[in-house]
Amino acid sequence: MNAEDLRWRRQLARELTIRARAPTREVMSASLSFGGKARRIGITGPPGAGKSSLIALLAKQWTERPSKVGVLAVDPTSPLSGGSLLGDRIRMDEISANSNLFIRSLPSGNTSDGLCPNILSLLDAFDEAAFDHVILETVGVGQVSYQAKALVDTFVVVLVPESGDTVQAMKAGILELADIYVVNKADLPAAAKIAAELRSIALWRGRNESWVPPVILTSATDNRGASELSDAIASHRKASLTEERMAALAIARREYLLRTLLLGQIDELLARNRTELQHLPLAESLRALIAGLGSGADVTSKSR
Amino acid sequence: MEKLRGKRIIIAKPGLDGHDAGAKIIALTLRDAGANVIYTGLRKTPDYIARVVIDEDADALGLSILSGSHNALVAATFESLRKFGGEDIKVFVGGTIPASDHETLKQLGVVAIYTAEMKLDHVVASLAEHLGVTQGGHER
Repeated sequence: MNAEDLRWRRQLARELTIRARAPTREVMSASLSFGGKARRIGITGPPGAGKSSLIALLAKQWTERPSKVGVLAVDPTSPLSGGSLLGDRIRMDEISANSNLFIRSLPSGNTSDGLCPNILSLLDAFDEAAFDHVILETVGVGQVSYQAKALVDTFVVVLVPESGDTVQAMKAGILELADIYVVNKADLPAAAKIAAELRSIALWRGRNESWVPPVILTSATDNRGASELSDAIASHRKASLTEERMAALAIARREYLLRTLLLGQIDELLARNRTELQHLPLAESLRALIAGLGSGADVTSKSR
Repeated sequence: MEKLRGKRIIIAKPGLDGHDAGAKIIALTLRDAGANVIYTGLRKTPDYIARVVIDEDADALGLSILSGSHNALVAATFESLRKFGGEDIKVFVGGTIPASDHETLKQLGVVAIYTAEMKLDHVVASLAEHLGVTQGGHER
């Protein structure tokens, strides 16, 4: 790695730490772009679906072009200790010496949407560092990570033959949001069946839309499907990169940010007033909290 | 308690030994103390580890070594850290490290050595001290 590579790498690493830890007021005063040069790809799916391995396949393709690829890999924070064990890197081993690749492991923190605090400003950092792609790997949740859809340009949902039938995934609503379906571990016997089911869902969804989500079969063990997936992402980008959609995405990202900031303030207020809230009737507690959100004031027994 | 809250700590296994039960126990212990622990997996080169230190902007690096080559591996890791400009990180070592080698490792720059017979609470408290945590820690 040359000196120039090291310089931007260290700078980006530091910047990501600062942004991940930034308190609410700093996030509000920062200017966010809600989407820049780097193409944003979201990867979601149940735990163990092979999201990290799939990202390794994609990143290998793209870094060899060459293009600069950033990965933000989110793993769950323990609700008990606030600590986390971040292990997504292990699956990206083969490619991680590539100087065009930058991987950052992130704890999900106090969020419950499979993402992590200040995610929008973390994504922006890759635009500022002139990256071509940034891949966002959500926590392996499946049933709540639909928030990620608005934050990325292309949303990939990964399923595996052992996920059971697609009804599980349909319940979760995540299937309605995918721009691309991936059936990973396609070397397993039930892969063709789940792919067929997904294809019929894709056709159903495509009846009113110009984009029919493709179903890609991948397998990290025999390196299968990487170029098909990469092509599908490029086609989706081409098909969807209208001014109208970009404007809609910017609005959705702005709304997401406001919502997370608001939720953050609610959490702070609740934590600060834990004792006071024990002693008030529910309706009064709620009233005092809503007032507190507006004024920044704590809940006191005087709010009776 | 959550003494290490918000600290980013890498647990790495340099060299060729293939046993990581100890590394995993330390990783879980540090997580339970509130740290964000990044585990690299087995058999990593010093350059690889130094690169992870930079990308992850970590506060501490734990090297788990059971192969007996700790002196050479730790020296090589410090060399890689210097090459990448990551020598400011606090490095600790765990594994089967005979007492006669502790001084050599400290000379190389290691801040602490943790061996199997140590209480896990002691490891957490000692690391917190090396990382300058006073009471509980406050960073997210």
